[in-house]
Amino acid sequence: MNVEKNTEKNRLNFWERIYLPEIARGLGLTFKQMLKPKMTRQYPEEKWEPTGSYRGRPVLVLEEDGERCVACSLCSRVCPALAIEVQAGETTKEKERYPVKFEINMLRCIYCGFCEEVCPEEAIIMSKDYELIFTNQEDAILGKDKLLIPIAQLQDRLEFLRQYR
Amino acid sequence: MSPLLTDVLILVAKIFLIVNGLLMAAAYLVYFERKISAWIQNRIGPNRVGPLGLFQSFADVFKLLMKEDIIPAMADKKFHFIAPIISIGVAMAVYAVIPFGDSFFIGDKEVFMTVAPGINIGLLFVLAMSSVGVYGITLAGWSSNNKYSLLGGLRSAAQMISYELSMGLSLIGVLMIAGSLNLTDIVHAQSGGKWNIFLQPIAFIIFLVASFAETNRTPFDLPEAEPELVGGYHTEYSGMKFGVFFLAEYANMVTASAMMVLLFLGGWEMPFLYEQLALPVGSPILAAVQFGVFAAKLVPILFFFIWVRWSIPRFRYDQLMNLGWKVMLPLALANILVTGVVMVLLKHFGFIN
Amino acid sequence: MPQITIDGQRIETSAGKTIIEAAQENGITIPHFCWHPALSVSGNCRMCLVNTGFPRKAPDGTFERDADGNNVIGWGPKLSIACATPVADGMVIDTQGDKTEHAQNAVMEFLLINHPLDCPICDEAGQCKLQEYEFLHSKGKSRFDEKKNHKDKRVPLGPNVMFDAERCISCSRCIRFADEVATQPVLTFVDRGDHVTIETFPGTQFDSPYSMNVIDICPVGALTSIDFRFTSRVWEMSFTDSICPGCSRGCNIKVGVRNNEILRLEPRTNMHVNTYWMCDDARLNQYKFVNENRLSGAMIRSGNTLVPATWEIAAEKAAKLLHSYKPSEIMILGSARATNEDNFLLSRLSHKILKTTHIDFLHHTDNDFADKLLRTSDRTANAHGAMEIGIKQHHGVSMDNLVEKIKNHSIKAVYVIDEHVADNPELANALSLVECLIVHASNPTSLTIMAHVLFATSTYAETEGTFTNMNKRVQYLMPAVATLDNERIAGLEMSRWDKFGARNDRWSQGVRRDCKPGWEIIQLIANHLGAGWHFSDAESVFKELSIDVKGFHGMSYELLQEYQGITLGTTDHSDVKAVVYESHIFKPN
Repeated sequence: MNVEKNTEKNRLNFWERIYLPEIARGLGLTFKQMLKPKMTRQYPEEKWEPTGSYRGRPVLVLEEDGERCVACSLCSRVCPALAIEVQAGETTKEKERYPVKFEINMLRCIYCGFCEEVCPEEAIIMSKDYELIFTNQEDAILGKDKLLIPIAQLQDRLEFLRQYR
Repeated sequence: MSPLLTDVLILVAKIFLIVNGLLMAAAYLVYFERKISAWIQNRIGPNRVGPLGLFQSFADVFKLLMKEDIIPAMADKKFHFIAPIISIGVAMAVYAVIPFGDSFFIGDKEVFMTVAPGINIGLLFVLAMSSVGVYGITLAGWSSNNKYSLLGGLRSAAQMISYELSMGLSLIGVLMIAGSLNLTDIVHAQSGGKWNIFLQPIAFIIFLVASFAETNRTPFDLPEAEPELVGGYHTEYSGMKFGVFFLAEYANMVTASAMMVLLFLGGWEMPFLYEQLALPVGSPILAAVQFGVFAAKLVPILFFFIWVRWSIPRFRYDQLMNLGWKVMLPLALANILVTGVVMVLLKHFGFIN
Repeated sequence: MPQITIDGQRIETSAGKTIIEAAQENGITIPHFCWHPALSVSGNCRMCLVNTGFPRKAPDGTFERDADGNNVIGWGPKLSIACATPVADGMVIDTQGDKTEHAQNAVMEFLLINHPLDCPICDEAGQCKLQEYEFLHSKGKSRFDEKKNHKDKRVPLGPNVMFDAERCISCSRCIRFADEVATQPVLTFVDRGDHVTIETFPGTQFDSPYSMNVIDICPVGALTSIDFRFTSRVWEMSFTDSICPGCSRGCNIKVGVRNNEILRLEPRTNMHVNTYWMCDDARLNQYKFVNENRLSGAMIRSGNTLVPATWEIAAEKAAKLLHSYKPSEIMILGSARATNEDNFLLSRLSHKILKTTHIDFLHHTDNDFADKLLRTSDRTANAHGAMEIGIKQHHGVSMDNLVEKIKNHSIKAVYVIDEHVADNPELANALSLVECLIVHASNPTSLTIMAHVLFATSTYAETEGTFTNMNKRVQYLMPAVATLDNERIAGLEMSRWDKFGARNDRWSQGVRRDCKPGWEIIQLIANHLGAGWHFSDAESVFKELSIDVKGFHGMSYELLQEYQGITLGTTDHSDVKAVVYESHIFKPN
């Protein structure tokens, strides 16, 4: 029979099998770790600035002449968590359509970035904002007033997205 | 003052000191556990509450006290309530017989460094009490009316019984050498560097492993194995009842360490130290030094407990049972046999009397 | 009877039919834009190009066979358009082969050259034929790298229709509809080639009472509804089959609902009733009263005001009031606006419980509304149903002498369901004099103000039931809007939003109104009068109705749905079922 056995007896030698030396080795390893420099970032005092690839809170791009969004609702359709609600309205601008209401429920949002991916206008993008604190459910539903961010603050992400277009 | 009143006052003072000291020790063990685990994981650990995070434990306990105490609707309320009391009560009762040093004199009053001095079956009492501790955990698991709790409780019972055996047997060698069950006598028998760890290394290892199991510490923390059993026997406990289980676990850890110090590491005995100091027998300063020595031996063992927890993964249940019954028990029996034979031989050739 | 073969399937059809018709009747859909079964054939979109041919014959007159024994087909030199090629016996048609597919790809690429691809802002997106065929019949690549033609984006063709010239693929469906169906020939193509666009003739606008049907038949988003424009994406709505309550035609409609609010109505094909169309008036008006200005719960008069009460208390009060009058003093007013189920239980209440023969209903006639196509002068949906059920009695007080009888105090109590008296001031005046007025209504009117006990009823969009139209066709209607009585989980159509919305989602918080269908309220009152009825749903009422009333014998909700309605008394020989043509169907998810 050409069967290869792989029992503890085959795998381990005597010293390994009585555990104790190996346990001592393990303890030695962890003791070495104790003396190494610490990685902890003291968060509220030291803040991390994410790179362009970071997917934080989704925001709407605000240009000089208003938001880019045309309220096509594709983000809302693609959102796996159903976090986005859009109500379109008509505008006299060339783009015809604009969001009367654009709400993202940050309690539902899972930061997957599908909305950004599907957006035909590059109007909704993931920002670097990761500090999201709410004291009640209503506050967590962000409206247009909180979502619209001037384009100048979003250059990193827009540049990152440009590489993959 | 009548002699009786003095005795009672001294007793109350001792109990007060021990209970508070023990709870403080448990609280700070939690702090050190978190600190050491952080260091092992290249983190800093608690550092927000007070200087170096030293008040973290108080914040934790305060939080636990503030939390809602939830009793599951289908739980057996009586036992659900009693279980944590048993756990902490037993953990503390053990300290009645643990000596921290030789007695000293205030005036002509002899004060013992133990709550119940002169108990000649001290070791037996400790073993007995630590066995009762299993009731707390098993009852907690059973009365919660939750499958995870019950499994945790059952595991705890099985594990305690399995390891108690080898634990008890491992101590026989020590007893044979000391010839007494009184803990003070056992300590005195180790004076002059004749620590049992050198005379009974196998027994020490067995006792060490068994006490890990008895205190439900990793790698034997199956009763509360989080990935499998949510929270084990204390799944359904919240608030300070959970806190009490938590404290009991750490108190047990201190007990186990103290037992190791007393039985294997010579207690407060330290070669050359007392000769150098040349303090008169019975002086309070000597007692204080002895307590210091005791504590100095205790701390590394506690550190070892924590160190092991953050280094070694949990055993599987079958591995746990294999180790307990197939390795430790025969080893402990063999140890008794070898000790006996050696002692008979030594006696025969007149090395000891 | 010519026999043809489409994609290997042998089909028997009748002479004179075009290929696309023959295929359609047999459930095979050939891609098309400009063809519509109700319109003339123009053949200008070229999407329906198919490969046609005939089995080749040898010189001796026998069919040529290939090695496998199959007929050898002599394919035509060029593809033919299925919409304009009549079938011929033995014809073989290939709608899926390489040649056809190549042609379809080419047509799609061509149509998309000047299409702006502004689907994100287009109302048609999601139910657009161009989108659908782009997926099914196109390579999805364009070789066109010149500049697209730009045309006018927002041109109102009439009061209700907005035209986007860029999106137009010049299929001429709207032009033909205006000429042939709406008989208002004001639309035409102007300019040529890629500059071609649609305009109204100078000085005219497309304001036919059926103008909005061009929105439905437009295969792309070139024609959109000014009323609905940008209100919602189609996939956010649920569409429920229903019946228009606007007149006695009983047009089949689909009710588009989002967040428990009706956003639009659109016609549903029923060749026996409304074919493919519905009127603008219904489309614009028959949903607003469901969304706005509704009554809520039950109310009891206390002094000069109506105060809210629980359903039980109000029903008890109504029963007590009715009980305190002699049967001859009670007048029951059924309704041609209520469902058959409501009227049936009301008639039961009057005959069996109250034992009054004073029962009738109001007619609402508006001769100005009627026209030759769909609109009728009878503005109620269910007059024939009410008649059949016996809401009009030959003896007893009727509408003719009700006013008089109230005035001489022989009628003291009136029970009215689902009615308004705005068009009958004389009756309104009389009703204000009665001692006891019990009213069912969905919206506040001059009648509800007078009521002593008032019950809020569900509208047609919230209730399950049947209407009987002018041709005595009983048609089934499903609830589209949820009420407190009628939750969405209990069998209503659901959009994705309805399915996954939780209590704390604003987009699923659409108001659930506190109203009940009429039959439920009648049952409540009747049970307080000791009737002991146990109808659990509209279907159980209809079952009883189908046993009790002769015309309805043998009918059931299943059959009504299956046959798109059944004419009274013809359950055993109902119309033949046919394949229903829908210009474009929104396929959910």
